[in-house]
Amino acid sequence: MPQRLLGLPLVLPALAVIAFLFILPLILSAVGAFQVEGAFGWGNFTKAFDLYSKDIVFTVVIITLSTVLIGIASIAIGGYLTLGEHPVAVAILRWLYRWPMFIPFIVVGQILRTFLAKNGMMNNAFINLGLLTPIDAQSFLDWRGIVIAFVWKQTPFVALLVAGAMASVNRDTIEAARNLGASRLRVLIEILVPQVAMTLTVGLILSFVTMMSVLSVPLMINAQTPTMITADIAFRVNSYGDYGVANALGIISLVLASSVAWIYLRASLKERA
Amino acid sequence: MERDGFLELRGIASRYGSNEVLSDIDLSIAKGEFVALLGSSGCGKTTLLRLLAGFISPSAGQVKVRHRDVTHLPPDKRGMALVFQSYALWPHMTVAQNIGYGLKLKGVSRAGIASRVAAMQSLLGLEGLELRKPAALSGGQRQRVALGRALAIDPEILLLDEPLSNLDARIRLTVRHELRALQKRLGITAIHVTHDREEAMVMADRIVILNGGKIAQAGTPEEVYNRPASAFVAAFMGAENVLSLNGAPEGGEFAIEAGPASAAGSVPLAGRPLTAGPVEARFRPEAARLFAESEVAVIGPGITFKGEVAAVSYPGGHWRHVVRLGQAEVMADAGHAFEPGTRVAVHVPAESLFLFNSPSAAPASTVSRAPTGRVYA
Repeated sequence: MPQRLLGLPLVLPALAVIAFLFILPLILSAVGAFQVEGAFGWGNFTKAFDLYSKDIVFTVVIITLSTVLIGIASIAIGGYLTLGEHPVAVAILRWLYRWPMFIPFIVVGQILRTFLAKNGMMNNAFINLGLLTPIDAQSFLDWRGIVIAFVWKQTPFVALLVAGAMASVNRDTIEAARNLGASRLRVLIEILVPQVAMTLTVGLILSFVTMMSVLSVPLMINAQTPTMITADIAFRVNSYGDYGVANALGIISLVLASSVAWIYLRASLKERA
Repeated sequence: MERDGFLELRGIASRYGSNEVLSDIDLSIAKGEFVALLGSSGCGKTTLLRLLAGFISPSAGQVKVRHRDVTHLPPDKRGMALVFQSYALWPHMTVAQNIGYGLKLKGVSRAGIASRVAAMQSLLGLEGLELRKPAALSGGQRQRVALGRALAIDPEILLLDEPLSNLDARIRLTVRHELRALQKRLGITAIHVTHDREEAMVMADRIVILNGGKIAQAGTPEEVYNRPASAFVAAFMGAENVLSLNGAPEGGEFAIEAGPASAAGSVPLAGRPLTAGPVEARFRPEAARLFAESEVAVIGPGITFKGEVAAVSYPGGHWRHVVRLGQAEVMADAGHAFEPGTRVAVHVPAESLFLFNSPSAAPASTVSRAPTGRVYA
């Protein structure tokens, strides 16, 4: 056997794992999405859109809103870590902000369920402080709960990337702006953020895709309609054994996620050009 | 030196933790003056510049501009603009945006910014580059953009932090003169940090030599070159040859005793506060004159050493000899080469022989000790 072919058996196990555990199931579900009672057709998709178009819009809106809020929060955290002048406050924030990253989504859902419910910890605290009367207390266990859960869980991850990128920005570029009279907010918006824009985009896209695939948070927090696509997929499979519509919904999520990835790819190509 | 005190530093000290980076800095700079802060790495020169710019606060002392205390004012309220060693151009902005940013911060109108940016571009020879990003510029162009950005806001004082050290050697030579001519034309006060002796000599009206966070000497280039105030300054200004001699003042002269390798001699005191005892003698290789031992003649006041050529090289323009004088070795230049092994006499004229009372019998270290810890230089 020629020597260059020797490499092939070496990569074969890894290749096999990818082929049989990732690519094959993906192709099978894609094919399954177009199969209606043994024949090919758009039936699953029309059914998915008829039943769940509201949920698809709901998913896109919730995740887009969460992504925007995550972006703002992580810029604020990274900015304070980079530009903050109070060393103790910076040290405390640096120590604190990463913790949610190590908490699984299902636990986040559980925590926020007890925290945001109508008679949950948040409302109880407000009532005890006299800021809220029991009559006015309302549950946040709807779309707002999902957004809060996503932002709380995903901000540390993006902030970690953004703060790292900001720390590696040439400090002189910050001081040059300060020297010319830029306030710290202007330095953040006009000098720091543009220099870490690519890292921020990557972080937000990874976050977007992660949030697209979370099942536990909508199930724990928002057990009503409209809900997120993941909950619908679980419902189709578990309650009806309807893999066709579930696969169609999966393809729709995949298209949504990859459209965001496409934006990223285009931006990175433009930057390199 | 008493000046009209446009920019004044009084008793400035700066510490980083328990480490004193600067102490007892007193300096008065006139309007339109070009001052070079010269020193080796870690001497505190960049710290002093950053302190002037307002990025760090002194632990003691005052900074005054036109008799106004600016010690604790923020960087932009001091009328100073800093050009960074790394240029610190904003990579996401074009040349025009970089130059115009300071004006934008000041709320200048769009048209006002455009005309000022155009003026800066023509002043600095950056025409046609306004839409380029810094990554698409050469080192020299970047340096000029950084300069344009600082000058655009029309500062009273221009602070330059080794702005030439990232340019290649040939461009650096022309930029020195361009920068100096520009400073004269604009009549701007400039403070230039450098570790390059020649750069400081060529560009500055006055050189301030820093050593270990203190001013070792301040004076015109000619003063610090020909009348160094200390052994450190002499060494830093190129008088690297060092010998230990003994002598005593006699009237207006300083009489030097004969040593194992030298004949007795005497040099005018010329106001130097030398006392009897061991002295450290320093001179530059190019100030020494080299003769074959046989043909030595009396050439005037100074001192003559006898030794043997140990090595010879040609750095260009003259031959450089390493001459062994007993235990010590010195460098001496001559118009023609002496073969290694030749017995020679090295004559150092009185005006080129720098004498300092040695703090101890051993000659002082020629290099300043960098303080440990984080210092900017």
